[in-house]
Amino acid sequence: MLRSPLSLLIAGLVAATSSRSGAGTAPPAPAPAAFRVIVAPSNRVDGVDRRFLLEAFLRKTTVWPDGQPLRPVDQPADSPTRRRFSQDALRRPVSGVKEYWLQAIFSGRGVPPPEVDSDAEVVKFVLQTAGAIGYVSSDAALGGAKVVSVK
Amino acid sequence: MVVGRRWVRSLLGAASLVLAAPTAARATEPAADAHGRDIQFHGFVSQGFLKTTANDYLVDSSRGSSEFSEAGFNATAQLTDKLRVGLQLFAFDLGAIGNFTVKADWYYLDYRVRDWLGVRAGRLKIAYGLYNDVSDIDAARAPALLPSSVYPFTNREYLLAQTGGELYGYARLGRGGALEYRAYAGAVPLEVPPQTGVAVPITGIGVPYIAGFRLMWETPLDGLRIGGSGVYLRVEATGMLPPPLATLTAKANEYAGLGSAEYAAHDLLLAAEYGQTRVENHYNPMLVPDATVVSEGGYVMSAYRARPWLQPAVYYSLVYPNRNIRDGRENVQHDVSGTLRFDINEFWIVKLEAHYMRGTASLAGAPQMRAVLPENWGLFVLKTTAYF
Repeated sequence: MLRSPLSLLIAGLVAATSSRSGAGTAPPAPAPAAFRVIVAPSNRVDGVDRRFLLEAFLRKTTVWPDGQPLRPVDQPADSPTRRRFSQDALRRPVSGVKEYWLQAIFSGRGVPPPEVDSDAEVVKFVLQTAGAIGYVSSDAALGGAKVVSVK
Repeated sequence: MVVGRRWVRSLLGAASLVLAAPTAARATEPAADAHGRDIQFHGFVSQGFLKTTANDYLVDSSRGSSEFSEAGFNATAQLTDKLRVGLQLFAFDLGAIGNFTVKADWYYLDYRVRDWLGVRAGRLKIAYGLYNDVSDIDAARAPALLPSSVYPFTNREYLLAQTGGELYGYARLGRGGALEYRAYAGAVPLEVPPQTGVAVPITGIGVPYIAGFRLMWETPLDGLRIGGSGVYLRVEATGMLPPPLATLTAKANEYAGLGSAEYAAHDLLLAAEYGQTRVENHYNPMLVPDATVVSEGGYVMSAYRARPWLQPAVYYSLVYPNRNIRDGRENVQHDVSGTLRFDINEFWIVKLEAHYMRGTASLAGAPQMRAVLPENWGLFVLKTTAYF
């Protein structure tokens, strides 16, 4: 049976993306890892609610309750820890968060938090940056960073 | 072929931006320092193809047209925790408009005093409805063409950005969610459009003032926001009449209101908007009687992220250019649209889209011309965008 150019295009795209994501022949992607939210040890905050995390990482709120600047740091889009954080704390997939930031970036409303490559880089950022908040996998070495509870 | 060379030059320039994208994107990531200073560069390039089964929509679409291109590049610098500046250059081509002329799409100085109060000045995207300020950003939404009942392409030249100021803020309401608000005022400088063979050539056009607001309530239900937008603007134009009349002055007061609701959580997006626009026209001399026309339109839309690389979307859109005249194909536009968005990778998307159209109200030309065009027609869109 002849296939239309449209169906060929769709099939090609699906094949390309399947091989990229490892679907089909490769084993399924591991389940997203659990995460812990961390701040600098000097930060007086011991716990935050989930809504605060959403507002902080979408930069809707920019200060801590004591008025100190709030500086979130993200992990890469393909990080399992970020996937879990995005689903649990932000209630949307990483792609949905990226779409939110694309709208902000190209309409001039703002830019996303910086991204660093690993748990260790998040810890380093949090320890070196006043008012920083980040998230790491549950088994990450904290290097002195303080874990805050999420209500 | 000056136009042809310019097109090639623009496309080559845009392509080089995309090829550099991964490096540029990486370069922006760790840029924030301990004092919040940060500079980021972003850009996008889009190329589309339009084909209709009948009628010409936006371009010479009945023959198939690739005159559907967009490119933008921006730089944003966070100078202090409260002060940010930014600039975006943008060029597009859509049939007779755009023609790859590079313009400052927006530029601003933004000082955020508190979360609940910030002020921006410069050339700013107009906040109207859910998507007006991103209507030229293909990567930021599922459909290639937004519903024309609320976001018509004809608004593109004069209702996307204004030069002036804006107050904005975000206020938490405790368990009641939060309010996000923007109020703005300014002007919209316009260029006289190219004209050939028209009876009254336009010699000047502009929007000397525009003012509006958008208020969105982020409800306690995650992802649900509801709100409204309103805008007033004055359009003034002058035309050249044959002697002894000399000059025609046309003024229009436009009042637009729009109600919006969006649910965006997990992998699902639901959106609906309905609005009315009242336009009061006045001419001097009164060759044409003063007229007031109220249009109305709205849409419902849904998109679902079925896979990280696949997002189907559908919408139904309906508009009456004059709500008091609903009979006749030239006075209504139904639009049923289906889209498949493929995210090939982190920087590249492809969209396939089909529309079933009933009515001719969204087509160019006078009503009596549109009354004899085919009523039922199809529109197909293929569009690809790379961004970083």
